[in-house]
Amino acid sequence: MLKFILRRLLLLIPVIIGLTVIMFAIARLLPGDPVGLAAGPNATPQERAELAHEFGLDQPVWAQYATYVTGLAHGDLGRSLLTRRPVAADIAAYLPATLELVLTAMLIAVLIGVPLGLLTAMWRNRWPDYLSQVLAIGAISMPRFFLGLLMQLVFAMWLAWLPLGGQLPIVAFPPPHVTGFITIDALLAGNLDTFMVALRHLAMPAIALSLSPLATIMRMMRASTIEVMGQDYVMTARALGLPARKIIMKVIGRNAVSATLTVIGLYFGWLLGGTVLVETVFDWPGLGLYATKAIISQDMMPVIGVALVIGLIFVFANLVIDLAYGIINPKVRYG
Amino acid sequence: MSEIDAEAELPAPSDGLARALHRFRQSRLSVVGAAMVAVVLFFAVFGQQLAPYPEQVAGAVDTTARFLPPSMAHPFGTNELGQDVLSLTMAGTAVSVLAGFGVVLIGSLVGTLVGAIAGFAGGWVDEVLMRLTDLTLTIPSLILAMAIAAALGPGFQNMVIAISVSWWPGYARLVRGEVLAAREEVYVTAARALGAIPGRVLFRHILPNCVSPIIVKMSLDMGFAILTVAGLGFIGIGVRPPTPEWGAQLAVAQAYMPNDWWTAMAPGMAMFLAVFGFNLLGDGLRDILDPKGRR
Amino acid sequence: MSEIFPRLSRRDLLGLAGAGLAAASFPAPLFAQGAGKVLIIASGQDIPNFDPHTSTGYSASFMMRNVYDPLVRVSGNPPEPVPALAESWQVSDDGKQYVFKLNPAAKFHSGQPVTAADVIYSFTRALKLAKGNAWMIRDIVTPEGMSAPDAGTVKFTLATPFAAFLQVLPWIFVAEKAAVEAHLGKDQGQSWLMTNIAGSGPFTVSRFQVGTLYQLARAKTAWQPGGGNLEGVIWQIVRETATQRLKLQRGEAHIAVDLTAEDMDALKGAPGVVRVIEPEYRTFSIKMNTAYGPMMDLNLRLAVSYAMNYQAMIQATRYADLMVGPLPQGILGQDPNLVVPRMDVAKAKEYMAKTAKPEGGFKLKMVYVSGLEQERRWALVLLDSLKALNIGLDIQPLNWPDVVASAAKPQTMADFFPVYQTANYGDPDNIAYAAYHSSRNGSWSNPVYHNPEVDKLIEAGRTEIDPKKRVEIYHQFQKVVVADAPDIFGVLERRKLGLRDSVKNYHFTPVASNAIECWPLSLA
Repeated sequence: MLKFILRRLLLLIPVIIGLTVIMFAIARLLPGDPVGLAAGPNATPQERAELAHEFGLDQPVWAQYATYVTGLAHGDLGRSLLTRRPVAADIAAYLPATLELVLTAMLIAVLIGVPLGLLTAMWRNRWPDYLSQVLAIGAISMPRFFLGLLMQLVFAMWLAWLPLGGQLPIVAFPPPHVTGFITIDALLAGNLDTFMVALRHLAMPAIALSLSPLATIMRMMRASTIEVMGQDYVMTARALGLPARKIIMKVIGRNAVSATLTVIGLYFGWLLGGTVLVETVFDWPGLGLYATKAIISQDMMPVIGVALVIGLIFVFANLVIDLAYGIINPKVRYG
Repeated sequence: MSEIDAEAELPAPSDGLARALHRFRQSRLSVVGAAMVAVVLFFAVFGQQLAPYPEQVAGAVDTTARFLPPSMAHPFGTNELGQDVLSLTMAGTAVSVLAGFGVVLIGSLVGTLVGAIAGFAGGWVDEVLMRLTDLTLTIPSLILAMAIAAALGPGFQNMVIAISVSWWPGYARLVRGEVLAAREEVYVTAARALGAIPGRVLFRHILPNCVSPIIVKMSLDMGFAILTVAGLGFIGIGVRPPTPEWGAQLAVAQAYMPNDWWTAMAPGMAMFLAVFGFNLLGDGLRDILDPKGRR
Repeated sequence: MSEIFPRLSRRDLLGLAGAGLAAASFPAPLFAQGAGKVLIIASGQDIPNFDPHTSTGYSASFMMRNVYDPLVRVSGNPPEPVPALAESWQVSDDGKQYVFKLNPAAKFHSGQPVTAADVIYSFTRALKLAKGNAWMIRDIVTPEGMSAPDAGTVKFTLATPFAAFLQVLPWIFVAEKAAVEAHLGKDQGQSWLMTNIAGSGPFTVSRFQVGTLYQLARAKTAWQPGGGNLEGVIWQIVRETATQRLKLQRGEAHIAVDLTAEDMDALKGAPGVVRVIEPEYRTFSIKMNTAYGPMMDLNLRLAVSYAMNYQAMIQATRYADLMVGPLPQGILGQDPNLVVPRMDVAKAKEYMAKTAKPEGGFKLKMVYVSGLEQERRWALVLLDSLKALNIGLDIQPLNWPDVVASAAKPQTMADFFPVYQTANYGDPDNIAYAAYHSSRNGSWSNPVYHNPEVDKLIEAGRTEIDPKKRVEIYHQFQKVVVADAPDIFGVLERRKLGLRDSVKNYHFTPVASNAIECWPLSLA
């Protein structure tokens, strides 16, 4: 197993190289003038040249890439042309907010999706089952940003139950930094008020984000439960009048975990990259907002950095999930 | 599978079609989905002509009639330039559907090609192509599409290209899997034994068998492609004005909430219903054409 | 509905509901942590960095105005120079020599007094880095032209007389020489000043979260007279203007600086909110490509200028005034009697008849900065207006850097090129020079227009000291420019700010008024 982990970790290296090469190629496609933007409207050609030189943009692209990869080995993701801040530090500041949002959305999806899936399996082919199928497809079809706007309109603007956006009210000082997750840090600091406030801010964006994985988990749970119920040994056990319940529960429990894991694997990277729109609507200070801003000002270092970090998290999450499969199902071999 | 003639092994179309149609009619949801898709396609073709204010679709403004709430004359109200929201939304169907279709088409063509070559050639070609596929899958697709769209500048073609770049790997994996499976099937072995050249085997015998799962995936992907198109429009890197587009309409409308909320309703609902229709249809098609894919 | 309940509009209900939320989402203990009077400003713009001599944008201006001091500040309406670090100054008759007496009370946050050496160091550094606002004093102030007769006096000998010198001084901030030199590095201390403050301003930075908020706290050394009761100020980044407005309505922000006309409409009569809608020297015009393509033809430019539906432009903007020629109304030398094109389709067709293609039937191209909603609206108004001449319009949204890049050559500039021009200082020279002088060709502020006569008038206007003569020069300048019709003269958008009524002692100054100067303000 250790060998398996090592091998998978080694595979990260080509991923890093591939990702950076692709993103660098795209950065080179840009027809605009990021230096002109960063230098400001009143800069002289000489000032622009100096800025380009300072950021190595006057060098051939392979040399720029070599510099970048060398820096990468030291955890340096380059500097933003616009703000001149190191990208790695910026990402470290924005990543926890995105992770907190995505993990909360996943939690909601699992906590609601698994029991709903079981229930609909029990009610198979009756109207709640059909209804749930329609709702699941509807949930997947709903544009997250439109749902976000609707929720804002109803819950924040008309009913005024929840805050419009952001992570914390601005006068509130965030709890001491431990995990970077405001909710958890607030609990660790024993500050229940801040925790509740943070939760209220988290509610709408997390729900908007959770719908797709929730629907998927629900449908997977339903299908696998139905499969278990139709299995030969369950049928036999039932026919023989044996207490089938125990067997079913055990198998279903394992199915729940494996369905959940599959969906997390499927959705984790997708959610990390897909928070962009939700973060935009809810002014959530995460990676998506950071990347959007950089993309619009053609500031490519942050974009490459974000793509790289999300890609790595995605690969890493899938490694963890593969390991977890092995734990719940020892039959899986690590090849 | 005792017959040597490989052609005869293809599923008899008439019989399969009839069965499929029967199953399709059995599934009420997919009929509803098909109906919704039909409506969407209808508006995509005729939306612009049928719009109550066609000249506004082409960019005409009426600044004396700004932000009128819904009424008989304007069922979804008017926007910041006094344009009829319903007209813009109807006309916006074309862009969303065409762009979505363009993305799915390019994605499936490229993906099929890559997957077929990888699966058929095997060896290092397969290895290289599939590593590239996996790599593309790890790049966050929306961010990739945004970066490319921003680089190319706004416009219909650029948007379609930008989204397609991250859209093909799914098809590549799917087709490769099908090709690998099909390669082992008797009729291919037979065809080879009869001296058929590899290209002919690929195009005459293997690919036709992949059509069903590809079509199912395409119809399911249509909805998501439309969502992605709208997402780019929402962020502000979609088509150019005055071309009406749902995502861009919604982005503008966001600034006028809650007072002039109606400007958001028509484009938002249109987006939802179009995607819903394609997903219902795709779900139904999967049950019929690709029972294996059913979970 | 019974008579007991007065009829409430939906907006009133919203306001009430909002008040409920404000209370609900801020439990008392959270407030206690912040303590004191903290002013919250909602803005859409992030602060790029803290270096007073490199950063640009109104958010950076806000920061500098509050944590650094310039020699003089600008105040009042119309704006006048007022003492800041300099308590008094003298100007020689030829307009070339300026002597500033520094306020002996002026202290840096470190506790050290502000001396002439710090001033000269800062001007020299700004010129050497040549970023940020340095262009304002380029070729006017030189390192050799500055001297310090004593620690409390700075003397400037300008390279050329410059009528607007006192107007640009508020934008050159003074940093503490010793503090910067201690962290010089290889880049003139740029890396250090990016996140550190070496100023003497009434506030200093107490915490910040990039892209989210910047909190200032009253400096212990604050020496400036006339301060209010603020303990601190928060610059909160709120991207959506509608969200800024809602935060203001709910009391979650005290000032919102990026409100749209629609927001202002929505705020009308909102309880506890004061709307500030004032003319400011911020022009919007659509420049035409006078150097390449069909718009080189003066008759076509005039035809378009007469075809433009100016009324629709105003209606699509609200809270704006139509421009009368190239200079903003109210500024020195603007001629209110100037005759400029107004919508007149007959006249437009008359000019159209004199062009190479009198029947139209061709397409022109307009770019605009994507995301700038008002520019998009005006582009559609132009598209609508051009139909009268049977001319089509291709509208292309571009990112700002691409817009800047396209201005570099006449061949890459679109036929129509919209430009917002903000007067960084309240003098006609600012806009005249940036928007019409040929030395700016290739830059976004004046991509192609050049007329030797106009150049001469602009140069005469900036070196002339006598205000009366300047007015004459600028009148002539306006006449020549209008005859050339290089622009569709558009609108002056009024500045639209929203304030809670608890903000006291606010006075509007039409120079960068969204970069709020917080020191005089108090919270009730």
